Amino acid sequence: MIRFENVSKAYKGAEGDALHDISLEILKGEFVFLVGASGSGKTTFLKLLLREEVADGGSVYVAGRDIGQLSHWRVPQLRRNLGCIFQDFRLLPSRTVAENVAFALEVIGRPRSVIKEQVGQVLELVGLGQKHHRMPDELSGGEQQRVAIARAFVNRPLVLLADEPTGNLDPATSQGIMKLLDRINRTGTTVVMATHDVGIVDAMRRRVIELDHGKLIRDQARGVYGYDNSSTSRGIPAVSVASVLDEDLGPATGRVAAVRARRGIR
Amino acid sequence: MALSLEYFAKETASNLWRNRVMGLAAVLTVAVSLSLVGTSLLLRQAVNRQVSQFGANTSLAIFVNPSATTQQQADIRSTISQTPQITHCTFLNHEQSYEQAKRVLASAPAAVSVLTPATTPTVFGGQLSNPADATTLMATFQGVPGVYMATSPVQSIHVLEQVTNVLQVVLIVIALLLLVSSLVLILNAIRMAIFARRREVSVMKLVGATNWFIRVPFMLEGLVQGLLGSAVAVFVVLLANLGVGYLVHRYHVSVLSSTVLPAHDVLMTELIVVLVGAVVGVAGSTVAVRRFLDV
Repeated sequence: MIRFENVSKAYKGAEGDALHDISLEILKGEFVFLVGASGSGKTTFLKLLLREEVADGGSVYVAGRDIGQLSHWRVPQLRRNLGCIFQDFRLLPSRTVAENVAFALEVIGRPRSVIKEQVGQVLELVGLGQKHHRMPDELSGGEQQRVAIARAFVNRPLVLLADEPTGNLDPATSQGIMKLLDRINRTGTTVVMATHDVGIVDAMRRRVIELDHGKLIRDQARGVYGYDNSSTSRGIPAVSVASVLDEDLGPATGRVAAVRARRGIR
Repeated sequence: MALSLEYFAKETASNLWRNRVMGLAAVLTVAVSLSLVGTSLLLRQAVNRQVSQFGANTSLAIFVNPSATTQQQADIRSTISQTPQITHCTFLNHEQSYEQAKRVLASAPAAVSVLTPATTPTVFGGQLSNPADATTLMATFQGVPGVYMATSPVQSIHVLEQVTNVLQVVLIVIALLLLVSSLVLILNAIRMAIFARRREVSVMKLVGATNWFIRVPFMLEGLVQGLLGSAVAVFVVLLANLGVGYLVHRYHVSVLSSTVLPAHDVLMTELIVVLVGAVVGVAGSTVAVRRFLDV
């Protein structure tokens, strides 16, 4: 579904690469956490997928297409296949819940009957079936993020990109959002989620891709936020990762069997 | 597609309303500017019509000196008949000339009162095949013995044309400056509309709306502003023509009746006004969209 081949990206005036020689593949239906400190390249990773940025070197493939080669006018088509949610929800404050969701379909020219049906369905899915006519500022943060998810998912995208979707939410609410993302993932939608939330990553036990200063330093199936959380209660990852890296990680192998075996993970 | 049209109409209307103060400034500037363009076009057409009306019977009036001998009068007559540029000649005797003088000088009764039929010079009126010959012929006949004066309206037409040219250049320059400022005002109005809509725009980009879909409401907004301005100008131009008609009628200056333009010419002028308004609106919004809406 998504493939990075030796992708590098540097911003003008910035020191070092935002992403450096990243190669990986994400299959259809996978749920992937993208972790790493601020400035590690997570957001750049997502921007490349959305083609808000273009890689300086290497190629990014989405659904078999090299999106760096897409002509300008094809970009909207790409974005229709990618749903996107953010830490700050990005809802339109002057529109109701239903209008916010419908907007995503209106502006890509879907007929009214389709819009009505799909908006109803997706709001039911995210658990806001009773709140069609509420304004965003009347909703809690968790509910607002559900609206944002409904908007991102209403067009049934192939991939859902989430940039710290729980960053503004309390743990209980975050858990609800994660259940929802998990349910969406079970419909076959690939989910890529950038996050800092240790608890969530650890609880979900999904594939974890870790970036550090633009480099891919870990790609682990059923991973946790940091390697060492078994010894400390919930260790700060960056330090422990570095120590484990040397013994375990070949950069290209990706999923680290040795680590998994040691932990007794399947 | 039907939904898109409805969407564009709704978005454009709400953009216009949100942005009404800036929009009003843009619309009024377009209106003033296009009113100037329109009236200067009317002026040009009116003068052309008046000139060609004069030109159609461009004449040479040769006033005979009252003291001229009969022989001299006969010589003048034969000179006229030997001049090929003069196609047709009429002669007004003292009585007829006095009557004409009374008509022409109706607005100056004092001048008429000093005239009697006997003291009014007789006049040869010559039709010219080509108005351009008037100046040469005037000089020629001025030298013929017994001629008191040879005149032609060509001179005053020339002055009229010159004045009109200057006036029109001035009007067009002012109109152009105003058009440039209305373009900038529309550009700025659209820029503010884009700024006010930046959330919507970013969501639209994110969910894959096409560039044109994002741009169209803003371009329509500029078009509507340009057209609203030209609507005002259309009204002004119409009033200007009706006003001239009223004045000509009111003061019985039927000589100037051809400055009142027929419906067809007014319509053409109005079309130009509307077209320029539309172009200014679209141009302003296109620049704004290209510069400030990076899709």
